Amino acid sequence: MSLAERLEAYLTRIWGQPVTVADLSRIPGGASRETYRFVATVGGAAKPLILRRDPPGSLIETDRSLEYLALESFHDRLPAPRPVAMEAEGAELERPFFIMERVEGGAVGSPFTVGPYGPHARTVGEAFFEILGRIAGADPAGLPLAKVAETPAPENCWRIAVDHWAGVIEADEQHPQPIVRAAIRRLRRHPPPPPGAVRVVHGDYRGGNFLHAPDGAILAVLDWEMVHLGDPLEDLAWAIDPLWNPFDPGTVAGMIPREEALAIWSRASGLPVDEDALAWWSLFAAVKGQAIWTSAAKEYRDGGFKEPILAVSGWYTARRHDEILAAALLRLEGLQ
Amino acid sequence: MTPSLPDILVGNFMCLADPGPPEQQGEFMAGKVGLVALLSLLAAQETERGAAARAAENALIRATLDEAAGTYGLDVASLPSTEDLTFTALDRVNAALRKALIGLHEAVEARSDTARHHAILRLYAKMAELRRLDLPPLPAR
Repeated sequence: MSLAERLEAYLTRIWGQPVTVADLSRIPGGASRETYRFVATVGGAAKPLILRRDPPGSLIETDRSLEYLALESFHDRLPAPRPVAMEAEGAELERPFFIMERVEGGAVGSPFTVGPYGPHARTVGEAFFEILGRIAGADPAGLPLAKVAETPAPENCWRIAVDHWAGVIEADEQHPQPIVRAAIRRLRRHPPPPPGAVRVVHGDYRGGNFLHAPDGAILAVLDWEMVHLGDPLEDLAWAIDPLWNPFDPGTVAGMIPREEALAIWSRASGLPVDEDALAWWSLFAAVKGQAIWTSAAKEYRDGGFKEPILAVSGWYTARRHDEILAAALLRLEGLQ
Repeated sequence: MTPSLPDILVGNFMCLADPGPPEQQGEFMAGKVGLVALLSLLAAQETERGAAARAAENALIRATLDEAAGTYGLDVASLPSTEDLTFTALDRVNAALRKALIGLHEAVEARSDTARHHAILRLYAKMAELRRLDLPPLPAR
């Protein structure tokens, strides 16, 4: 049975009337989830939808639930797709998945190109950091996400984050990495102050993970699969990590100057930016990145070298994050 | 480092040799081809610089270990070395040297040996620079 037929069987069952699926097509992008666009027709109405399906061998039920609940939490608060259905057990599609409404008319700009937002970089940047501020400003207590996301004590946010990603490196490393290990030790020796409030952390908020319109308006924030509750500076540090801005040293994320970005975020979130804490979370961002790239390299090998996105992640981005980490370690010691 | 250059080049063949089901043609396959093109360009850089970078890094780490051997009781002579300039041989030696460097840095930090700590941080910057890959300035689409 083809994937389209499986989708038809699933949607027909849950909607209780015949559904046809057309124009099923996989979308290029991240390797952690297979993403497809398709049109489901039910009762004469055509619904443009997106399927996010776990790849073979991955059964991250909790993450899938969190991503779905994050969309439930934010789709009516900021630009984000409306979730439609989720099956943590896979049902007719055999692997965990969820379906969300498709946001039309936008494009995803690659952060690895020159001028990814063209003349609209400022418009995109102001919206990008304002939306991130709104995520950080939301009280998680009343959100659907809070039903399953663990709420850490403020003083434990940093430790939970470091322990998690250091564990990933420990588990997946195939070649010794002295630079990231030195960074992990530094993070543990000099922990940041606790956040004033524990908030929703998107987990992968960056260029390449949102749709923008031709006029620069942000239409949808995507890829919530690493969402969790924690220190909101984690997202801000990740968003401005130099990895995502290889060609424009005068801005962050290839959008607007750093000071403006931080001011917009602070205004929208109602939270101050502690520069010392942000420096800690910036070093952490590069550690987290290196952990993700370490896993990508392992998955590339384990998967028979068939997914080139894993090769780019495990190779170019890993090398780039070693440069960023080494520079940050020197800077934090007051060295050049 | 992983993935190795042979991994990348074999992978470029594998991902194009297996076209996948119909729903993975079109835009998805076009994206894959773009990534293969990028990997091929980066592979050209690695082919040109990779062996020299590994040999230089191995020499720099060994010199750092040699310099600290007396103070920290290191047996540097027992670490592997090679005259073979293949990536495989250089990476095997590199793995052993990097493990020893991690151990040395941990000991340096434990003793608050600031001068050597800073020297190792500068070594890291050099190592990262040697391994650098340069993205092509692709225009946005």
